Amino acid sequence: MLIIGGGVGGMRAAIDVAEAGLKAYLVEGTPALGGRVAQLGFMFPTHDCVLCRGTSDHGYGCTRPSISPILLDNNLHPNIEVLTSTDVLACDGQAGDFTVRLRRQPQYAKCINCGLCADVCPVERPSGFQMGLTLRKAISKSAPRAVPDSYYLLEKTEACDECRKCVEVCPTAAVNLDAAVTERTIHVGAVILAVGYKPFNPREMQEFGFGRFPNVITSMQYERLASHSGPTEGTVARPSDGRPPKKIAWLQCIGSRDQRAVGAAQVAAPYCSAICCMYATKEAMLAKQRLPDVEAHIFTMDERAFNKEYNAYYTQARDRHGVQYTRCRISEIRQDPATHDLMLRYPSGRMHGEAAPGQGPIVEDRYDMVVLAVGVRPPEQADLLARALGIELNEYGFCQTDKFSPLETSRPGVFVCGAFASPKEIGETIIDASGAAAEAMRLMREKLGRLPSSRQYPFIYGEARLLQETGLLGPERDVTGEKPRVGVFVCGCGGSIADVVNAPQTAAFAAGLPDVVHAEYLPFACFPDGLNHIRRATIDLELNRVVVGACSHRTHESLFQRTAREAGLNPYLTEMVNLREQCAWVHAADPDGATRKAKELVRLGVSRIRPAQAISKEPRAPSRTALVIGGGVSGMTAALAIADSGFDVHLVEKSDALGGNLHHIYYVAEGANPQRLLRDLVNRIIAHERITTHMKSEVVRHAGSVGAFRSVVRARAPGGAVVETEIDHGATVLATGARESSDGRYGLGLDPRVVRQSELEELIAHQPERIVAMKHIAMIQCVRPEGAPDYCSRTCCTNTLKNAIRIKMLNPNCRVTILYKDIITYGFREKFYLEARRRGVLFVRYTDGDRPIVEIPNPKLQISNRKSQIPKTAPQSAIGNQPSAIVVRIHEHVFGQTLELQPDLIALSMSIAPGEDTASLAQALHVPLSTEGFFLEAHLKMRPMDFMEEGIFLAGIAHYPKFIEECISYALAAAGRAITVLSKEPLYIGGVVAIVDQAKCTGCLTCVRSCPFGIPQIRVDFKGVGGLTGAAWIDPARCQGCGTCTAECPAKAIELLNYRDEQIMSGVGRWGVRVEHEL
Amino acid sequence: MNSNGHFEPEITAFTCIYCAYMAADTAGALKLQYPANIKLVRLPCTGKTDVRYILEAFEKGADAVYVVACPLGNCHHVRGNERGRARVARARKLLESIGIEGERLEMYFLSGGQGATFAKAAREMTERVRKLGPNPLRQ
Repeated sequence: MLIIGGGVGGMRAAIDVAEAGLKAYLVEGTPALGGRVAQLGFMFPTHDCVLCRGTSDHGYGCTRPSISPILLDNNLHPNIEVLTSTDVLACDGQAGDFTVRLRRQPQYAKCINCGLCADVCPVERPSGFQMGLTLRKAISKSAPRAVPDSYYLLEKTEACDECRKCVEVCPTAAVNLDAAVTERTIHVGAVILAVGYKPFNPREMQEFGFGRFPNVITSMQYERLASHSGPTEGTVARPSDGRPPKKIAWLQCIGSRDQRAVGAAQVAAPYCSAICCMYATKEAMLAKQRLPDVEAHIFTMDERAFNKEYNAYYTQARDRHGVQYTRCRISEIRQDPATHDLMLRYPSGRMHGEAAPGQGPIVEDRYDMVVLAVGVRPPEQADLLARALGIELNEYGFCQTDKFSPLETSRPGVFVCGAFASPKEIGETIIDASGAAAEAMRLMREKLGRLPSSRQYPFIYGEARLLQETGLLGPERDVTGEKPRVGVFVCGCGGSIADVVNAPQTAAFAAGLPDVVHAEYLPFACFPDGLNHIRRATIDLELNRVVVGACSHRTHESLFQRTAREAGLNPYLTEMVNLREQCAWVHAADPDGATRKAKELVRLGVSRIRPAQAISKEPRAPSRTALVIGGGVSGMTAALAIADSGFDVHLVEKSDALGGNLHHIYYVAEGANPQRLLRDLVNRIIAHERITTHMKSEVVRHAGSVGAFRSVVRARAPGGAVVETEIDHGATVLATGARESSDGRYGLGLDPRVVRQSELEELIAHQPERIVAMKHIAMIQCVRPEGAPDYCSRTCCTNTLKNAIRIKMLNPNCRVTILYKDIITYGFREKFYLEARRRGVLFVRYTDGDRPIVEIPNPKLQISNRKSQIPKTAPQSAIGNQPSAIVVRIHEHVFGQTLELQPDLIALSMSIAPGEDTASLAQALHVPLSTEGFFLEAHLKMRPMDFMEEGIFLAGIAHYPKFIEECISYALAAAGRAITVLSKEPLYIGGVVAIVDQAKCTGCLTCVRSCPFGIPQIRVDFKGVGGLTGAAWIDPARCQGCGTCTAECPAKAIELLNYRDEQIMSGVGRWGVRVEHEL
Repeated sequence: MNSNGHFEPEITAFTCIYCAYMAADTAGALKLQYPANIKLVRLPCTGKTDVRYILEAFEKGADAVYVVACPLGNCHHVRGNERGRARVARARKLLESIGIEGERLEMYFLSGGQGATFAKAAREMTERVRKLGPNPLRQ
C-alpha cells in the first residue's frame, strides 16, 4: 500500500492499513510528518491539540506532530515505512499490482538531534513551519518535535553555501553534504492520495496589502502566533511594533467564493473553502480569551457552522465572548502609514443575529491587525502528481471523484482522502482516510492480516512476535522472586550529555546504589554498539532490571525496552532517566548542578525500577464477525465493505426494507441517480454470501468488549411473535441514521400548500405537471420543531437549491423565493448556489429575531389542535371557489422593507433530528450522546468514527446530518476500523492498567464516579473488604491507564501498573544527593 | 541549609507524560536554562496525583512541590488534570493547616510547545522557595 502525503489523513490511512496486516509506505514530500495540522495549535470547536488522542494507544506521551505513538521513530509500526523528503515519479500497472518509482532526498540517519549543526550554520532563512514569522538555519529541524526526529538541510543548492561547518561539528558524522538523491521502485497493491491542500497566497490580491502592510497577516500566520509552539508561545503581537493588538479584524472568503481569476495563473476559486468560517471564529475566540479588552470583528458573507457542535460554538463566540460578526465582504484594506493601523470600510448595522433594522451608511474603522482568512487551494504539485499517477483533476484542480464513490479517483486502485478531494476539516479528513484504507483493504483482501502486528508488548509490538516465530527472540525470563539485580547505563550522547554532566562520575555514583550490580558509561547508548552492549551485559550479568540514563522517554523509551526484551527481560523492567533534554541541555552553564541532578535522577530511576514487576497483555482471538446496526446507505456500505474483505456480517434493520432515507431521495444536485444506488446496494446485500440480514429487528442487548461482543437481536415476526437471536461478534458498526423532523411551524399540517422539502421533491419527481402550473414557490430554511436544539442540518441548503433549480428548469416563469439565515453550500456545492442565482431564484435573508410570518387563510384552524384537524384541501374563500392565498411576510434587511409574498406552495426545510431509538441504543451500547442528541464519538476531530469503547464504530447520519457521499465515506471508515479489529490474530488487551485489590475494596463508588471514561463498575459477583458482597472491577480491555481512580480511591484498593505508589513515592522529597560543598 | 548558611532549594515536580513532559523536552530542545534543583517525577496523567504523593514529598523534605499538567480542556485523559487540580487545592489546604506555606505547592498547565514557560515556572518556583526558606519540616 502506498500512501502519499504525511499529514493527518496519510498518517491515519497508514495506521489503518498497517493494523490490518498490510504493508504501508507513507511517502511525504517534506522532511517531516504532520502536514498542515502540525502548524495548528488548537482545533475548532474543541480548542484542544490532542493529536495524542488520534488513536487509542497510551503511554508514550506527546506524539505531536504525529497522531499516534506508532509513528514515532523508535516506536514505528513494523508494517509502516516512512519515506520523508520523497516524491512520486511514476506509477505503472493496475489495481492490485502497481509499480511506483520514488525519488528521495538524502537522509541523516545517524542524527542524534544535538543541534550542533544548526548552532554553527551561518545561513538563515524564513521558517516555513512558522509561516515566515521567524528564521531558521539552512540546516535545521522544521520544529523541535518533528517526526522523523532529525535535522535536515533546507535546500542544498539554494540556501547552503557549503561552508561545511555542520559536517565538521557533527559528533556522529551524520551530515553528508555530498549524499546523493536516491531513486527506488516499490510494488504496491493500491495507492491512497492524502496530499492535502495549499493555503491561498493573498499576495495575488493586491487590494488587501498583504506583504506591503506589516499588520495584514494570513490566518495561518495567526495560527502560529496563537499557538503555544509558535514563535511567541502564544502571545499575539503586531508585526509592525510588537504591541498586543487591541482591535483585530478577520476578512473571510479571501481566495474563496470568488469568481474572479486572480494571480499569475489567473485561477478563480468560486467554491467555498469550508473551513475558514470556523477557524476564524476559533482565532477570534482565542484572541478574546488571551488578550484583555481586545475587539474581534469578523466580516463574513454567510456563517457556515455546519458540523456537529459548530453552531453552539459560533453562538458562544458571538454571544458569550462578544466576537462581532458583520455580514459583508470587505473589498480593500488601506493603511495609515504613520501608525501602520489599517482602515476598513463597511456598511453599518449588519451584525449577525440581529434583525439589522439599523442598516446604515458606510463607516470607516481603524484596526490594529487584519487577518486574511485565506482559502483552500489544490496542493502545490497537484498537476505533476496527477500526471505521474494518471488521475483526473476536477475543474478547480482538486482530485476528481464521483458522487457515490467519493474516495475513488478516476484510476482504479488509486484512492483519495482529505482536502485533495475537496476542502475539508480535520475530522472529515480522518474519516476519508480510514475510508480510503477500507477501500484498499477490500482490494487487497487476500493479503489482510498477512503481516501480523501484535500488541503483546506495547513498545515493541509486531517485532516481538515475528522475532519469536523466527527464533530470534527467546522467551521472556520470569524474574519473579529474584532479588533485584540492576544494571545502570549512563549515555554520553556524543557529548550532548557528557559535555555538561560528568557521565562517568554519575555511573560511578550509580554503582553504589542499592541492588545495582553493574553501572557503566556508554558514549552512545542508542547506537547499535551501545544497544548490543546493553543486551550482552543484561544476559551475561543476569540483570533483571535495567536503567538507562540518556535522553527522552518520549523518543527512546521504546528502543531501550525493546533492547531489554531482546535480552529476555519484560519491557517494564526497564527504566529511563532523562539526562539530556531535562538535565544537560537546560543546565549547560552549571555542570556541577547538572551532575548532581543527573545523579539524583539516576537514584530515582533505580529506586523506581527496584520494585517494578513484569507487565503482560492478555491475548484474545477476536470473533471474525461484525454486527452492523442500521440498513440505510451507511449500514449497507459498511456491511458490504466488511463482507467483501472476507468477514461475516450481521446487518440489523428496524423496518421491513433496506434503504432508510435513501428511499425518499429521487435525484441529487450533482445529477447522479440515488435510486440506482439504492437498488445496487440492496441487490449486493441480498446476494452476498457473508451477510445475514435481520429485518424488523432491533439490538436489545450489547455486552462484552472489543473482539468479544455478544448481542441480542430481537425480531418482530408476523403475528406479533418476538424472536431473539444471540450473536457473537468482534466489532460493531452503528449506522442507525436520522430523520427529517416534522412537527411543524409556518402552518405545516394546517394547509396542504405548506409542505416539507422532501414532499416538494416527491412532487417534482412524480407530478412535475403540478410544478409547471405554479407561479410562485417559497422555501423557508432552518425550520426546527419548537424547543429542539439549534444546529445546522447541513444538507438542507443544497437540497433546497437542488429543488429550486429543478423547478426553474421545469418552469422558468415560476418565481422561487428562498428565505434563509445563512446559505450553507460548503465546498464545491457553492456552484449550486451560483446556478440558482443565475436562474433567477430570489434569496431573502431573515434572522431568528425577525422570522418570516406565514398567514394561513382560515384563522380558526390556526388555533385549533393541529394534529386532529389536518385539512384535506385548501380552505375556500368566502367569494368564489378559489382557495384564498397564503401570505408570507418577511422583513428584507438590505432595503429595510417588509415584503409580502403569496406563494402557491411553501416548502419548509425541516431540521434533521436523531433517530427515535438513538437514546435507547446509546444506553444498550454504553455510548454517549452529543448535545444535539446524536451519538458522540471518541473525539470530534481525531477519532470521529471511533467510540471511546474500543471495537464500536460510528457511521453516517447517526453521527450528524450528512450528504450521501459523506455517509459513504463515513461508512467505509467505520468498516475499515472494524476490519483492523477483525483481521487480528490475536488482539492483546490490558497492559498499563488499573487493578483492584478486591480484598480492600469497600464498594464506595468513588472510582465509578471519578473515572473520566466511565469504566469501573461494582460487581455483585465479587467480594469486597471483609467478604462483603460487591467490589469494583476495572475491565483491562477498556481501562485507559490514567490512574485517576487510584489517586481517588479512599481505601487505596487500586493500583496502576508501572506507576504503583511504591514506585512513585520512593522518588519524592529531599534529594538523596547532597550539594557538593555540603558533603 | 548547609554549614555555610547557603540554602539550595530542593524541589519535586510531578509531570504528566503528555503535554507537561513534552514542555520539559521542548525547553531542552531549545536549550532554555533553568536552575538544576528540580527533579521531575513522571505520572501517566496529573489525574494520578495523589494527595499523599504531595504530602509525602514535603514530609521527606522537599522545599516545594509543583505539578505540571496539560492545559485545561486539553488533557489526554479528558479530565484528569481537573481532578489533579482539585487534589492540589486539597493538599494546599492540608499544608496550610499544619503551618506549611501554601505557596510551596503550585500547579501549572502547559502545552507541549511551551518550553519557555516551563523554564519560567522552574525559575519562579526556585525564586519563591529561596524567599520562603527551607521546608520547615527539614531537619
